[in-house]
Amino acid sequence: MDTKTKITIFIIEDNDVFALALKSEIETVFANMQLSVHSFTTGELSMEKFNEEKPQIVILDYHLNSKDWNALDGIKVLDWIINKNKETLVVMLTRDDHVDIAIKSFHHGASDYVVKNHTQFKKINFSLLNFFKIIQAKNNSEKYLSKLKEYRENSKN
Amino acid sequence: MIKQENEKLCNLEYLSEMVNGKKHLIIEIIDVFLKQVSEELELINQAIINKDFATVKNYTHTMKSTVSVVNITLLTPILKEMEELAEKAINIERITELNTTLELMCKQAISEIKTERVKYI
Repeated sequence: MDTKTKITIFIIEDNDVFALALKSEIETVFANMQLSVHSFTTGELSMEKFNEEKPQIVILDYHLNSKDWNALDGIKVLDWIINKNKETLVVMLTRDDHVDIAIKSFHHGASDYVVKNHTQFKKINFSLLNFFKIIQAKNNSEKYLSKLKEYRENSKN
Repeated sequence: MIKQENEKLCNLEYLSEMVNGKKHLIIEIIDVFLKQVSEELELINQAIINKDFATVKNYTHTMKSTVSVVNITLLTPILKEMEELAEKAINIERITELNTTLELMCKQAISEIKTERVKYI
């Protein structure tokens, strides 16, 4: 795993205890990586920072408006994120183990889906590990393409 | 349903492993937990008095995530039943009964966690 590339992760979750524990868990498990993890209690708050921080990964709660009924729900926030940058890797979190929610999340552009239960953090870490590999593969691919372009230009000269 | 005095409801080993034993993080998470769980209990209580099923549903749902961090597994079936009844907007008597158990168990959990917290200072 490339540990030099800085990866920005947004956690959008209205449960403060869960968000704090998850942030701590990620920073502990992936301590050897250059991670910047930011927590937001609503999708709206995350949107303000999205352009500035350009997160590659978002961990998004499905029931985002359980405390503030006027807040956007997880699917609406997911739509906004994908519309802003379709390359963003989003893992949808929910306590409801309903296949309909999983299908809906994937249909709206989520890359993974995790049910909150006793293995929740392990599953999220596994998702993140896969996302890191995807990001690394994309970065490598861009490097090779750039080198190939350079090689072709040199060949012409 | 209530555990005996010598039996513990919470398991902070899970939390400790999660943060690799970092004491300041354990204390930070415990403090947010203690504040949040009290607020959620109060909101559920008030919602039951007002027969506000939507709020009972929302906060029992949220509380499942809250208690998972300190591994209070015994609360999950209680919260799940309260949430399901509230979603159907039925049986406020059963919800009230379950809430009594919820409050007692949370009181025990809060007491346990406050005792454990001292060890991390």
